[in-house]
Amino acid sequence: MGNSEFLAQLDELLELPAGTLKGPELLGSLEGWDSLAVLSFIAMVDEHFGQPVSPKAIVACKTVDDLGKLAGISAN
Amino acid sequence: MDLGGRLVLVTGASAGIGRETAIFLSECNARLILTARHGERLEQTASLLRAGDHRIEARDLTSTDEIPAWMKRVCEENGPLGGLVHCAGVHSAFPLRVLTTEKLESVMRINVSAALMLAKGFRQKGCSTAGSAMVLVSSVAGLVGEAGVAAYAASKAALVGLARSLAMELAGQGIRVNCVAPGFVETEMGGRLREALTPEQFQALEAKHPLGLGTPRDVAHGIGFLLAETSRWITGTTLVIDGGYTAH
Repeated sequence: MGNSEFLAQLDELLELPAGTLKGPELLGSLEGWDSLAVLSFIAMVDEHFGQPVSPKAIVACKTVDDLGKLAGISAN
Repeated sequence: MDLGGRLVLVTGASAGIGRETAIFLSECNARLILTARHGERLEQTASLLRAGDHRIEARDLTSTDEIPAWMKRVCEENGPLGGLVHCAGVHSAFPLRVLTTEKLESVMRINVSAALMLAKGFRQKGCSTAGSAMVLVSSVAGLVGEAGVAAYAASKAALVGLARSLAMELAGQGIRVNCVAPGFVETEMGGRLREALTPEQFQALEAKHPLGLGTPRDVAHGIGFLLAETSRWITGTTLVIDGGYTAH
């Protein structure tokens, strides 16, 4: 899966309209980015990208693109 | 707590609470049948038991319909069981937004359906002795709400209700059925849960246990008590072993 698919999955996870996220967004600015979103992100990346991700790694992320790197995705 | 002369089947005996329970029960002179998916890890458990005529049965309990026939064979080969402990289970942290029916059913299959079919097998003629007992490993997650673990919580709460109903149904055969509900215990499963939390979240979880975090031996002691004559007048209950987690 590529970056567009990753962003689409993240849009859906955060219940944002399709095409909302582009990559540079700060995680702290995203409504709904909370501890449950973190757990959900871990499950989503494991299921759709086959990558195990720890909460510690997520906490270190600042942007959506940083999350993408955890999923093994390179930003466009 | 002397379990001399008792044959006890322990599921999930390859690690964690199941492994430590098997070890403790062997120290109480029980003869063990160890079961889990991975034979190699069961061999490791067997090497830790007090010497005895113990057996290993590698088995995937997710094939739930096959459990009663399997237990019939095991008992024909080894004799009737004086106890059965269901420690096999999975933890899952799937918030609702990512929870699917498939994930839910996967958790319920091993945590609950397998428990029910083990009970079905246990009550078969020749599979249990008078005064035998079954212990199901529930969790404080089935008693106290935490966000993000609805499927797991539902499965562990189901065991509490299951124990009550089975206690009524099997009392006539002299079989007692109880649950233990552990708090956070330092096991492989507990380690994975620790990894799934931020350090702050884990510290908050730890702080909810007034007596600190538990060990597998803490839970094994409770299981042994519920199997032995020490609990001959106890059935249909849940023994909470949680360092005070559910006290507040």
